[in-house]
Amino acid sequence: MPAAEYVSPEGLRLDGRRPKELRQLRAELGVLSSATGSALFEMGNTKVLAAVFGPKPVEQRSQEDEKRAIIKCEYAMATFSTGERRRRGKADRRATEITMAIRNTLEQTILTELLPRSQIDIYVQVLQADGGTRCACINAACLAVAAAAIPMRDLVASCAAGYLESTPLLDLNYLEDSGGGPDVAVAIHPNYDNRVVLLQQDNRLAIETFEQVLELAVAGCRAVSGFMRERLQEHTQALAAAQDAGEQDDVGGGDGEDDDDDVMGVDDF
Amino acid sequence: MAAPLISQGEVEWITAGVSYNTRNDGRKREDFRQLKVQLGMLAQATGSARVQLGETDVIVGVKAEIGVPDADRPDCGRIVFGVECSPVASPAFRGRGGDELSSELARALERSMYPGPSGRGGGIDLSVLSIVSGKTCWVLHVDALLLNIGGNLHDAVSAAAKAALADAKVPKVQVVPGEDPNGKRARLQLPGHSRAGCYSSVSDPEAGLAWPSKRVYEPDYEVDDDPSEAMRLDASGMPICITVSLIGGHCVVDLTVQEELCSAAAMQVAVDASGGVCGITKRRQKGIEASLAMEMIEVAQRAAAQLHTALSSSLAEQQGQQQMAVG
Repeated sequence: MPAAEYVSPEGLRLDGRRPKELRQLRAELGVLSSATGSALFEMGNTKVLAAVFGPKPVEQRSQEDEKRAIIKCEYAMATFSTGERRRRGKADRRATEITMAIRNTLEQTILTELLPRSQIDIYVQVLQADGGTRCACINAACLAVAAAAIPMRDLVASCAAGYLESTPLLDLNYLEDSGGGPDVAVAIHPNYDNRVVLLQQDNRLAIETFEQVLELAVAGCRAVSGFMRERLQEHTQALAAAQDAGEQDDVGGGDGEDDDDDVMGVDDF
Repeated sequence: MAAPLISQGEVEWITAGVSYNTRNDGRKREDFRQLKVQLGMLAQATGSARVQLGETDVIVGVKAEIGVPDADRPDCGRIVFGVECSPVASPAFRGRGGDELSSELARALERSMYPGPSGRGGGIDLSVLSIVSGKTCWVLHVDALLLNIGGNLHDAVSAAAKAALADAKVPKVQVVPGEDPNGKRARLQLPGHSRAGCYSSVSDPEAGLAWPSKRVYEPDYEVDDDPSEAMRLDASGMPICITVSLIGGHCVVDLTVQEELCSAAAMQVAVDASGGVCGITKRRQKGIEASLAMEMIEVAQRAAAQLHTALSSSLAEQQGQQQMAVG
């Protein structure tokens, strides 16, 4: 089997992208009617669905926190999501690790102190996995939380970068990820001077190269956050338009003061 | 599953409406909600379909794997059904919460697809999935994932399974004879096309040239990656499950979550496109009189015709679009 060439001499990767190019991003909000907030997020072929239920009363009284909301998270991969069909048990170790990563990241982002004694459930379902699943999950979860009108201190955007054939590569797909090179997954708060809220690295990486790769990943996160903000604004405008149209039909309708119900409750934007 | 709440007043309202042949969303007792079908959205699956029946949302992926046939049906492939309840549908499906519901749904799908001893007559003709009799065959794993609960899950899941199987493109397999120590060759047609290249000069088996040295003389197989050579499955005979419920003594079809809380007895009937009944299961707590049971089966047959038509026209439209996109 010929050695796979991750970066061709012309500087193109296996899927035709340049080294610093993100895959195509797609997002849709409010895709599930039962959830308080939901979002479908796609990074290239990786498709992830996130649903948020809450804030609601805590299910187990013993876990109730009088100062803040508790966050429960679960990550599930569909049996058809990977190339080889794998019957994944829910207690899979990787799934537990990713669940913790998502919960940890969202705990730092959601203003839990504003919702004491309550519980927020965040569930993520992977429909198709092609590398960068944990990043897509965090992005989808962030959009779902926003769609659920839960206050956050900032958007959280996540992206991964790697290093193969002496080139830092942004947003690895599954083939590149399996290439044996390092994989650095990062999540940031873009408005807080890009402060890092998640950082995970697999495999070996020289410390000088690490800075390069980290910078690239953070730049990728900023691009993702820009995209997420655009989608959120479009979604809110559509909701406001629908609300206005509805009010015109009402007899003596309201004066639109509830327009901001679905906007994130952060004032610094 | 966390039971949604319903008040006695709402139950009486819905029951009264049903007796006047009007439901909360304006439908009649035997009307289905809008059916939306999307094919082929999972690039890594052999076939896939997403079906939305009202608020109920299901994705089904079909994956074809090489496996061993059953001992009692050596010339047939196999189909294995699995259902998963995604936690995004409800917090009740966290951890193992959805196991009971998913086994029930998977079992219902399996029962409606029991084939006869020849592999035919079970919805999908399993004999087309055989590769080498008694040794190798295609095993189709049909996995459904519930994304949103909007009532009437069984019907949506079976319609989605049918759509996904109709979308499935099973790769073409070439059976290649292995080297036989007695000098006899299996009588097999070998097309000129070859992906690996090492079989390229096999047109003259008698010459004994270019056979890779194999000690085993069992036939070997080669999977062709070319999508235009893939085999499409004939899912037209596959039944769809129709759930007929009793609300206040009337037969109602395609219930929403609220309506399901008002019904104490239901019959699930698997009906195929020609109106033939393929399986019956009684659900929920209350008993049904025999005459009423017969009436429910007839209602199911009528309703099935509606759903089959809606599904086939959606499938035809989607497959037409796919052809245009490729061609």
